[in-house]
Amino acid sequence: MAAVRSSGASSAPAAHEAAVRAVQLTKRFGSKIAVEDVTFTVPQGAVFGLVGPNGAGKTTTFSMLAGYLRPSAGRVEILGFPPTAVDSLRSRVGVLPQDALLPAQDTVGEFLVHMARLQDLPGDKAVSSARERLDDVAGRDWWDQRCGSLSHGMAKRVALAQAFLGEPDVVLLDEPTAGLDPRVAYEVRQLVKAKKGHAAIVISSHNLQELEEICDFAAILDHGKIVTQGSMAELTAANSEVRVQLTPGARRGTNPGEVPISRLRDLPHVITADLHDDGPELVVTFERKDADAETIIGKVLAVLLQNEVRISGVTKGRGLEQRLIDLA
Amino acid sequence: MNPSAEIRLVTARELRRSFRSSKGVLLALICVVGGAGVSILFAWMDRMKREAIAAASSGLGGVDLSDAVASAQQPLFEHLYGPATAKALAPAPYSLWMMLMATLWLAPLLISLLDYDAVSGEVQHRSVRFWTVRARRSSYIAGKALGAWLTVLAVTLGMNVIVWGVIVGIGQIPAAQVLTWGPRFFAVTIPISAAWCGVAMLVGSLFRTPMMSLLAISAAFTGLWIASVVAALSERPWLAYLYPNTYDALLLSPNAGDLALGFAGPVVIAAVTTGAAALLFETRDV
Repeated sequence: MAAVRSSGASSAPAAHEAAVRAVQLTKRFGSKIAVEDVTFTVPQGAVFGLVGPNGAGKTTTFSMLAGYLRPSAGRVEILGFPPTAVDSLRSRVGVLPQDALLPAQDTVGEFLVHMARLQDLPGDKAVSSARERLDDVAGRDWWDQRCGSLSHGMAKRVALAQAFLGEPDVVLLDEPTAGLDPRVAYEVRQLVKAKKGHAAIVISSHNLQELEEICDFAAILDHGKIVTQGSMAELTAANSEVRVQLTPGARRGTNPGEVPISRLRDLPHVITADLHDDGPELVVTFERKDADAETIIGKVLAVLLQNEVRISGVTKGRGLEQRLIDLA
Repeated sequence: MNPSAEIRLVTARELRRSFRSSKGVLLALICVVGGAGVSILFAWMDRMKREAIAAASSGLGGVDLSDAVASAQQPLFEHLYGPATAKALAPAPYSLWMMLMATLWLAPLLISLLDYDAVSGEVQHRSVRFWTVRARRSSYIAGKALGAWLTVLAVTLGMNVIVWGVIVGIGQIPAAQVLTWGPRFFAVTIPISAAWCGVAMLVGSLFRTPMMSLLAISAAFTGLWIASVVAALSERPWLAYLYPNTYDALLLSPNAGDLALGFAGPVVIAAVTTGAAALLFETRDV
């Protein structure tokens, strides 16, 4: 589980389990502080999201993790090495840089094979690995195409393929689905999910639904600092809060069609139950140690349906997007 | 993977990039076509010169034309290189020597045009980030410099071979003489081109935009030429050794010591500048 600096959440991994460690990272550009005192740990095999609004410091943090930028203070460890220890990390780290153009004159095959060769893969293995990764991003037919002739989405997928060349233990992805059509974005998410447990993956993205779907942990940055971090369930309160969207006009009361707040509060393990006017929305919090969200959803819905309350939807927690809006 | 393997891979890719880019193809074409044109001009100048020498020496019975040409050329070479080298170079075909001069002057221009975006172009578009996670930055710079040097050598060699072919083809100079002097003169340009490539790599890699890189390389090359002029006009002869083309005199010398110095000078310039470029690139943000 990700180490937590400010959210008060839980259980940092032992040092040997850490795939990526950022310790008090700071980056200054002249007098401007882009990132300040950022600390987090990514366990091996976990997917970790870097979340935040524009200018929050995500890409700067990402660039320090990848070794593109040198920290003004603090340090980064990838599998126990600084990111610039290329020889020690060869073939163990894959990176998708944001907005890096592929070399226009190279064909896709030449580019991927060249990258694989630099990872010390022998010639035939380099070719087979390049072809496999290109297949993974549905780009089999592009092998002989010049990189300069690819569309933005195709180029992004080729760049993604190079990030997964070999079998890296750590993969850093900066905006992996930006500019991709929904179908391909879905396939990319499936690809990342398939790597879960095999490689530690750090994703910097604006797409909060995507991060919520694939990340185990996340850190929310704002103005260059981490405002909170933890497991996705902790961040979204998915394991301690249930939200029920009601039809307009819903109000408290015990009559049919009204929300029986006191009955809900009396349910086992429920801590609070409140009806918010915006929506309107019923928010129920519960003791996460004693009950899971699914159990509480069942009991809350049973009470509401008995009272003939009309329900529009149900969610666990508030979602990463709302969490980000609240914090940043 | 050791650094030499990384350098080899980066160099191979750089050669492919250079010869495949429209800029590289265009420059190579200009050099080759220009080389053919220039060779005809040089051959014509050579013939005129030989005819003038033959006419001047026609009244002197028993004088061999080759000896007369050598005698006529010697003062020019002596002025440029000193008596020992002049004596050794005197029998050389004038057109091939002119080709050496053209290659020495053309090489920096070619290097600046071929090399200016080698690093800055990839930094500007962040393509360099694909390499920095896989290869030592020093290997990347060394591979780029080596690739640029080999590209320039290939283009200038192509140009020289065309000139040799044209000169032999029009029957101006015997093939044996061309094969004796042509490769020897071309060999002079090899270490000197390396020095220019090193300087271009050092200056060009400091910038993030190719246009700034091109301007800075041009300014640096001009600055080195000015240093050689200042050296000639002042009492600071050591300044001339900063200018790579200075070493042609030593590389043409029949003296082994001069030859070694002439070889070592440009190689040291190439090593120091490429090393400095690598060192600076290691410490900067990309």
